[in-house]
Amino acid sequence: MDFLIPQETLKAVEEVRKWGRDAMRPAGLEADRLGSPLPVDHPYFHRSLEHGEGRTKWRPGASAAGRPGAAVHAMWLAEEGAYWDRGVMVANPGPGLPEASVLAQGTEEQKEKYLGPFIEPDRPRWACFAMTEPSAGSDAAAIKTTAHKDGHAWVLNGAKCFIGGASRSDWILVQATLDASQGRNAQRSFFVEQGTPGLGDFKIEKKMGLKAYESTSFTLQSCRVPLENLLGGESRPKGQAGFKTAMRTFNAGRPIIGAMAVGMGRAALDEAIHFAQETGLIKRERIRDRIECMSRKIRSARLICLRACWLVDQQRPNVMEASMAKALGAQVSQQAAGLGLEILGNVAGTGTHLIEKLYRDTKAMDIVEGTGQIQRVIMARQLVGLPR
Amino acid sequence: MDFRIEDELHLLVETTALFGAQKLASNERVHEHQRSVGDNLQDAYTEMGLADLETPDSLEGAELGSLAKCLVNEELAACDVGAAIALDRLGPALYPALEFQGAAAVAHLQDLCNGSIPRRVVLVIEETDRDPHQPISLHVDWVPAQDVAALMLLGPTRACLVVDGIETQPLPASGLRAAGASALTLTDALATEHWTDPAAASRAQARSRLWVASMMLGVLRATCDFSRRYAGERETFGKPIAHHQGLAFLIVEMNMALEAARLLVHEAAWRLDQGEEASLESASALIECIESARWIGPSGVQILGGHGFMADYPVEKHMREVRTLGLMAGGLDAALETAGRKLEAGAPPLDIAMPTGEGE
Ligand SMILES: Cc1cc2nc3c(=O)[nH]c(=O)nc-3n(C[C@H](O)[C@H](O)[C@H](O)COP(=O)(O)OP(=O)(O)OC[C@H]3O[C@@H](n4cnc5c(N)ncnc54)[C@H](O)[C@@H]3O)c2cc1C
Repeated sequence: MDFLIPQETLKAVEEVRKWGRDAMRPAGLEADRLGSPLPVDHPYFHRSLEHGEGRTKWRPGASAAGRPGAAVHAMWLAEEGAYWDRGVMVANPGPGLPEASVLAQGTEEQKEKYLGPFIEPDRPRWACFAMTEPSAGSDAAAIKTTAHKDGHAWVLNGAKCFIGGASRSDWILVQATLDASQGRNAQRSFFVEQGTPGLGDFKIEKKMGLKAYESTSFTLQSCRVPLENLLGGESRPKGQAGFKTAMRTFNAGRPIIGAMAVGMGRAALDEAIHFAQETGLIKRERIRDRIECMSRKIRSARLICLRACWLVDQQRPNVMEASMAKALGAQVSQQAAGLGLEILGNVAGTGTHLIEKLYRDTKAMDIVEGTGQIQRVIMARQLVGLPR
Repeated sequence: MDFRIEDELHLLVETTALFGAQKLASNERVHEHQRSVGDNLQDAYTEMGLADLETPDSLEGAELGSLAKCLVNEELAACDVGAAIALDRLGPALYPALEFQGAAAVAHLQDLCNGSIPRRVVLVIEETDRDPHQPISLHVDWVPAQDVAALMLLGPTRACLVVDGIETQPLPASGLRAAGASALTLTDALATEHWTDPAAASRAQARSRLWVASMMLGVLRATCDFSRRYAGERETFGKPIAHHQGLAFLIVEMNMALEAARLLVHEAAWRLDQGEEASLESASALIECIESARWIGPSGVQILGGHGFMADYPVEKHMREVRTLGLMAGGLDAALETAGRKLEAGAPPLDIAMPTGEGE
């Protein structure tokens, strides 16, 4: 056993901390006040690019093997970033959610074409992954967006919703079905470039929290993309591969989402403790006990996230731990924000305190990338063989 | 024992529910956005007698008790809690006036509110009594009100009314925006009236807590109802989400907690109406509502999944508002303090002695 955090990670966390304090937190508060996403030309995005963000891990010809300890390292950075502002973290330019799928499944040409521009981006660029539809979220196998081949093109039809950054993305990796009656087996992912005729009706949703980034609905109406826009190309293996690719995108992210939630919970608790110290409330046993309990819960959730990531680094299965990390992280972050509100008392009512924002922001963590219930279904399958 | 609501109250509940459904529910987001309710609505509310539910008979009010008020509050808050607060000009500040002095004090508060611009009286519960002869300086971080006619400060045994020198600063607010939101500052203000009477203070505090608790019941009910209906319609994995046991049990827990909290509120209100102090019972009822609100609000959002997080549905508003409501009348910690003190003083929490009607 060794709980020591490597020096290199500590240094990187320190970097994120500086950047978070200087840039992310203020940008997040600004978006929350405005009640709308940071605009594409917001100075924050240019600063973020200069700061070295918004880039892909991919390099032409490089092997896909990650460096040792990469998942645990990424976990610490995710926690620290979300501590400062999780909404801004998602708003950041870059290849985002679909990068992992492209790295794992894309052809060399696809990596070159779609990730290439993110190696040394000339301007802030975004990409996004579109799975959710108005009538299908948790039940991702039930999506209705269709793709059919017509001559030298795939023709896509359907509607997507809540897609992070869709209207500003250079391309969207769209999940569609070749035959809805075949369930998950018939799902494939397609690159749809911004400006493709038939891609439109972008509508940015009004959200309760995480306002810094856009969650957007859009439609695909006889939207034609070239044959080579099928992720992995025509020759890729058949069967469940398409659905599995999409699920892999989510699976890899679960402990990271858990860690982000932990970071948000830690932010809420820090603010609450600070407030309790300033006001002398910390002397009250009732308050102290609740703070102790909360810090214990956050610490244990963090350890579960760490273990889930460590298993990734060990290339060992982590289905249980990844779901635990996601479920527990989301839970404790909400509890911490809620406790913060109670400690703030009337100040929580003003609508101007960071804890109040965190109370709204943290709620999403139990919904995105597999709701709390879905995590429990996954765990119950493992533990007691819950039937599908 | 009888859990039935008397016919007269039942009728009141029904007409209030109708008023809420027709005038409040459909304008919930409009009120939130405007940060106020219209004059027409205020007039309709007054015309229905809702403004004078607890007003003494001598002032041509209905002089109904706590139970009636709790039932009405729940109905209105289930439709639009921000509007319910905005419409109730005296709000819980009525209770110190009623309990310490009675009709004359109530009439005075009403006069203060009925100027050319409608204004409200705000109640602030304090941990210690004020010396009424000393100038009062104080900052209240948030009250759900915009135009404040007077401030009622209620301590453990004394109430002070401040009318002049109230500075307000508008705030964005996290919820209850329909009622407005401001920070209040008093600098060397003087109490225009003050009363001292421990029993009155205790009852005023208890009634204020039930005022808040019953508003919370309304929001919690709205959350439970909306999310349960949605869960019956939305399908995943080939069946309504309500039929996945994980969610079915959550929905059951939510409704169970709501019923439990409601009964605590009703019992405490009934005791007050019997003339008891009901200090422990009212504090407990509020604590229960606040504890349940911690998870019922977020669960309502959760049941709607991603849709719940969007402003297109009311559950995100419920989640914010019910939490904000729980800050009023001193919030959780003050209620815990009251309940704890009562227990410390030897109040038997589960005593089955029936009230004598003469108070404690
Ligand atoms: C801020 C935000 C950002 C998002 N970003 C993206 C994005 O970039 N790309 C993207 O594709 N999607 C995105 N989403 C969508 C998100 O992934 C879905 O909202 C989520 O998967 C839930 O789906 P749903 O909203 O359709 O809820 P539903 O699937 O309709 O679920 C409703 C409720 O039923 C419960 N439920 C469903 N099935 C079961 C079951 N078997 N047992 C017990 N309970 C069950 C759920 O837990 C939930 O409580 C985002 C959502 C939000 C809120």
